Amino acid sequence: MSESHVALTEHSAFMEPSPFGIQSKKLTMWLFIASDAITFGAVLFGYSYLRAGTPNWPTPFHFSPSIINGMVMTFVLLTSSLTMLGAVEAAKAGDKAKTLKWLAATIVLGTLFAVLHIREWFHMFHEGWSLFKNPEGGSVLFGASFFSITGLHLMHVISGVIALIVVGIGYNTDWLDKNHVETTGLYWHFVDLVWMFVFPLVYLMNATR
Amino acid sequence: MSTEQSAGIGKYVGIWLGLVCIAGIEVILTYRGFSVHELLLALFALAIIEAGIGLAYFMHLKYESPSLVWTVVPFVIFVLLMMNQIWPDAYRVDSLRFLTQ
Repeated sequence: MSESHVALTEHSAFMEPSPFGIQSKKLTMWLFIASDAITFGAVLFGYSYLRAGTPNWPTPFHFSPSIINGMVMTFVLLTSSLTMLGAVEAAKAGDKAKTLKWLAATIVLGTLFAVLHIREWFHMFHEGWSLFKNPEGGSVLFGASFFSITGLHLMHVISGVIALIVVGIGYNTDWLDKNHVETTGLYWHFVDLVWMFVFPLVYLMNATR
Repeated sequence: MSTEQSAGIGKYVGIWLGLVCIAGIEVILTYRGFSVHELLLALFALAIIEAGIGLAYFMHLKYESPSLVWTVVPFVIFVLLMMNQIWPDAYRVDSLRFLTQ
């Protein structure tokens, strides 16, 4: 029996080394993050083109409540990244109880962010803004770009919260391990990183000055 | 396997504070009376700094193998830089049209 036969047809010791010295699920997550970064980049560049090229672009975000709400959302999401780091460190140290507590904190903060975001949306709807409407009578592109970009980010946040819940349950029942916590943490930090672009470009650039 | 290094929770808290401060600076700059284009440039620059810090420390890219960094990062930066070709056209369009009522 040749070595290649053993390698291809049976469980064998001829395993490939880990790519880049990391688990394949972590590499997969990095590649996904790279592609998602380009997606968000394209969306934000498209919006920035419209923003820079339109002289009478609406600026409906008053400091109170919109910018204050945005600042609170930024603080909440940054803090959730910190709690996620706590979960990853605790998982690496093998402390299950601590890991689950930090994961729970991250889930709560992520949910709070989503609630604040949806509340901001309803405030906009109440003022007459939508994907296709501009209550000030000008271009509808503001509503289209604002709700598209923030909606795409919100979808990522909600997916991340669901993933954290699944990973938390899985880690508690030993179905998943510390590497799954770390990989999910990478996604969560990416979601936070995207908000670092969305908040200034979409909220602050459209603040009423 | 990747190195198990990390910055330590104390350093993470410091980095978190730094990111919160940068976000605060962004809000302050918004109300300093810059033009749209100047503000866009400033906010973009600060966002890139925040992203770099987040990537390096929160996502542990600083502690991963150089081969992973060189595989993931350069092509993303290249694509995003290529998207920067839009700015001359955006500024040209700004001066082309007349204000709509």
